[in-house]
Formats: sequence, structure tokens, C-alpha cells
Amino acid sequence: MVDVAILLSVGRHPVSGRARRAPTDARALEMALGLPAVRRTALHAGDPASPALRDYLGMGLDRLTVLAMAHGCDPVEPLAAHLRSLSPGIVLTGNRAEGGEDSGMLPYRVAHTLGVAIVPDVVAITVEAGGGAAEVVQALARGQRRALRVALPFVATIHPAAPSARPSAFGPARRGRIDSVPVEAPPDAFLAACAARPWRDRPKRLTVGAPGSGGALDRLRAATEAKAGQGRLLVGPSPDEAALAIYECLQEQGVLPR
Amino acid sequence: MSEQHPTARRRDPRAERAARTVRVEPRRRLVLSVDVVPQTGGRPRRDPRARRAEAIVQSVPRLRLDWTGKAVGASALPTVEGRGPRAASEPVLRVIDDPACLLFAVLDRPDGALSGHDRQVLAAARLLADAAGGAVVAVVPDGGEDLGALGADRVLPLPAAWADEYAPERRAAAVAAAIARWSPRHILFAESQDGGDLARRVAVACGERLFAGVESLSSARAARRAGGGATELGCAPPRLLSIAADAVAPLGAVRHEARRLDPPPEPDGVPALQGARRLPVDPDGVGLGEADFIVSAGNGVTDWDAFAALGRALGATRAGSRVVCDAGHLPRDRQVGASGTVVSARCYLAFGIAGAPQHLQGIGGVERVIAVNTDLHAAMIKRADLAIIADAQAVMPALVRLARERGHG
Repeated sequence: MVDVAILLSVGRHPVSGRARRAPTDARALEMALGLPAVRRTALHAGDPASPALRDYLGMGLDRLTVLAMAHGCDPVEPLAAHLRSLSPGIVLTGNRAEGGEDSGMLPYRVAHTLGVAIVPDVVAITVEAGGGAAEVVQALARGQRRALRVALPFVATIHPAAPSARPSAFGPARRGRIDSVPVEAPPDAFLAACAARPWRDRPKRLTVGAPGSGGALDRLRAATEAKAGQGRLLVGPSPDEAALAIYECLQEQGVLPR
Repeated sequence: MSEQHPTARRRDPRAERAARTVRVEPRRRLVLSVDVVPQTGGRPRRDPRARRAEAIVQSVPRLRLDWTGKAVGASALPTVEGRGPRAASEPVLRVIDDPACLLFAVLDRPDGALSGHDRQVLAAARLLADAAGGAVVAVVPDGGEDLGALGADRVLPLPAAWADEYAPERRAAAVAAAIARWSPRHILFAESQDGGDLARRVAVACGERLFAGVESLSSARAARRAGGGATELGCAPPRLLSIAADAVAPLGAVRHEARRLDPPPEPDGVPALQGARRLPVDPDGVGLGEADFIVSAGNGVTDWDAFAALGRALGATRAGSRVVCDAGHLPRDRQVGASGTVVSARCYLAFGIAGAPQHLQGIGGVERVIAVNTDLHAAMIKRADLAIIADAQAVMPALVRLARERGHG
């Protein structure tokens, strides 16, 4: 039995630009709803009137605490202060927000301010019987998984490969309560120093051929021709010979253990 | 001009005639002796027969010519400034003894080898260093690579074991200690999964903000994508940056000294993340686009039980060509090719696939292809690194038997 806090942000639909649940934050809430928790505290820092917050309530939350602050403020200090008063065992959040700075720095800064460990890219959490530690599973590239043991308390960021979030239901979304707590937040000077403009897609960089070697003919050839292999050829071997050749090739490539 | 092919200079008859002219009035008189003829300039005359002889790669069973100038005989070809084959020159060693500032390029070295992304980070650091007159310090777990050829002036080695084990906290502490000691002007990371994690840990340890996932970089401006992909944030390159994949072109041929610096002291303290171990995953549960090892079936496969047993025995993700998925032998999300999934596996084992152009497009990013096919002239055989002309139905059970004998599957 653990005390879980979930940090939720407002996302942005990539096509329509409407406010929505941030996908990984919704997965974090889904994971929190599946944990054996004595208390679940959902926190949002920003505008309490955002319609997307009701979508989180519709997933089965009773209430959501919003630290009301203006746009362009740094939410780390108020969030950390609020979390310190709650002292949760596990803090869950998505690994990347969408719609703001999107740097993925907030969980790290919150964890550093609270002085607790951070586990990135989590897809599953199992709390051990005593409640003093948890077994977490991280998602890696190429569908691989890694298991770790972490002592509570910790901050975990949720990977997009985590189990998908349940849909939001209309009734609970209407019934849920949003508690607005006005807080003092310092303006974000780092973000204010950056110039923002609409994103324009750049042409994809052609990464063919070794750079600086050969001329235009080589680059054209690398871009257009099908790649030719090293060309080892066995014509009509017996099945066992063929199997051995394949097996050795796979071992050499490192996909099979030697 | 080479010794074997003394080619004549191109002649200019008008100039020769003018040189031979002794007097014009009352009648034009010319000297007839040969030595008066001037060696007028002009382009060297080309000998097409000699060029063709040098371009011959093989003459039996059929003639093959290589006009790129890289054939064996081409080294004797005269190289003229601005034309002909360019001579491959060794880059000159560039030593920066007294740099104006230092730049850290913190490299991942995933799975014990430098990735393409690591090279791009070094290229980005080189770009910023050349503008500021600084030196690039590669901060990397110790390994065998020649970092000087990749553009590093200095190397700050971290313990070699950190490349394999999962030690983000110790790695971050070591990088933060090195930053405190050398105070570099910029610190660049790779925005990969582990590199991005390390960058954020270092950023909070230094109490600074990270400019994460830089998509375009020049010495005056760095830009990244924000606002759910709708906004571009730009500013002068800040102190901590992480470089997105394929945002910066890797360097060409360069030569730097890669002088080793004293490694930072090993951080003490017990890490909070312990007992990291890889979990076995179901290979068929992995998406085809991110699978590492794929065994694929085409129209030449009829024994589907043996194919399924082979996938289990080798621990490979199963896939198929369009024909196979159309026939319903495999689900549609297992189709490789232009209308299916473009795969980027390390190894692709194809049974009974002839290699339609659409299928070859789908395996364009594969590192190594092994093909088993009955047709010697199939396009797949040309593409494969190991091609076996045999019946898939005979090879698959033999491979399953071999894998079981060797103790896995």
C-alpha cells in the first residue's frame, strides 16, 4: 500500500491543436489507478479552467488539485512545495509534456528539489510486500525491457509503451471536483529568453554514404541503387550445411549467443 | 602523363605556322626544321584507348568497365588539376594546443560501440568549437575507437564498464564533476533514450536548464521543437544542449589528436537504481519496425509449422512478404515492404522470398540479410550477404534441430 501522486499536464492535439489529455500523463494516471494505493493525489499546475482537466477526472478520479498560476511561470517550486507537504511514496508523470516547453526536465527538477531518485521510461511498477521498495520495468529501444529495484520514495516518468489509458467517461468527468489553489510562481526566465515561431518542417537530411568520401556519383548511387550484400553464395548445399552456415552467420552478427 | 602512355600534346596549327614564319613580305617564308615548332600549351590530349584499358575490371566471362576511376589500373591514370579522378588525400593532423575554451561532447556508446548519433554529437561540438576557437573534449566510456578521426581534440575517459551496465547516476555524477573541474563553454549530449536521461540528470546536478532535442544548430543559433510540435524555440546556443538524431551531418575526413585527459574521480555513494537486468520479451509482441532480428517467409514457404517453430527456436520476430499476408498465413501487421512496414532490423533471415522491388525497399535499413531461395537469379540473392540456393522446407527443420542442439529454443 503506497501513497501515489500523479502530475498531470494539458496536452495539445497534433492536428486540431485542441487541448486534450497529454498521452503519457494519461498513461501515468492509468498506472496509478492500477496500483494498490491508499491515497491518489492528482496535481496540475496551470489554468484550472482548462477543459482537458475534465478528461482526467473522467478516468475515475474523484478530485484534482490545480495549482493555479499564469502561463509562462515556472511550476517546479510550487509543485515541489505541495508534494513535500503530501510526502508521497511514488510520484508518477509522463516522460514528456506536449504544448509547453516539452523538454522533459520537470520530473528531474522536481525529483532533485525533493531529493528523491528518478526512474525514467517506466512501463510497469510492482510494489514489494513491505512497501519499502518497488520493482519497476523500463522500456528500451527495439521493444526490449529492463527491470530495476528502487527504494521508495521515487519519481517515475511513464514511457509511451506503457499500457494505454482508459477512455474518459462523461458522468465521472462531470461529477469530479477541481480544487483550485492559487500559488505564487516565479516567471520562467529561460523560456522567456527564447524566441518562438511556428514550426516549419525542414527537408529530411539525406544520410546516405560516408560523408566527404567520393563525389556526387557515389551519393547518387547510394541514394538510388538497392544495397548489394557481401555476396557469399552457397549453391545447393545439404540442409545441414545450409543450417550451419546460417547459424554461424547469426552468431557472427551477435543475434544468437555463441 | 604516365610512362606507359606517352600522349602527344594537342597541336595548335595556327600557332605553329606563326612560329615558323620567317618573313611575310613579299612572300611568306616558313622554316621547315622541326625544333622550331613551339610546345604550345593547351589541354593534354586524351588517349581513349588507354583510358578504356585502365577501366577494364574483368574481361572474362564478359567485359566489365568501371569509369569511376577506382579500378585497379586507374592509379596510373594522369590526374590533372580539376579533372579526372580525385586523389584520396589523408587529412592533415590538426592540433589545438591552447584552446580559447573547452566543449564537452558526452557520448552514449550504447552496446559498446559508438553510434551514428554519437558521431553527429561530435560534429555538432566541432561546429561550435571551430566558431569559438575551442577544443572538443569527448566524454565517453573507455573503448577502442579512434576518436581523433571523429573530431575530438581531447578525450576524457570514463570507466569502460559503464558502457554496458546501467549506471546513470554514477555517470551523471562523473560528468558533473568534470564540468565543475574544466568549466566547458558548452556541453552537448545525444538526445537518445539513455543520453537524454543523462543530460537531464547532469542539468539538474549543475542547476542549469537543458535545451533538449536541438533540431537545427549553427554557431549563432540553436532551435528545437516545442509546444506539442507546433512551435520552434530558438536562441543563441545555451550551455547545455542535447542534439536530436539526424539533426547535424556527421563530419567528413578530419584528423584531431584526441589527447587523453585525467579521468574524473569515481563518484562514491550508493546508487538508488539497483539490480538492473534485461527481461526476456516475446519476439512476436515486438513491433516489426523496431524488431532486431526478423525471420521472414515468402511465397516459397509451404511448411508453416516449421516456420513457426523456427521463429520460436531462434527467438526471432516473424514476418512475411505481401503474398504471404494476402493469403492469410500471417496477419497484416507482419508484412514487410513498401505497403507494409519498413524494417530496420540488425539481421533479416528470408525464406522463399524472391525480392520484389517493394520488398527490397522495406529492408533497405537492414544491416545483414540472409536469403534462402531456390532461384539463383532472384533479386534477393543479389541483395543478401549470405545467399543459399536450397529449398526452404528442407533448411528450416535442419536449422531448428541445430538451434535445439546448441542449447536454446
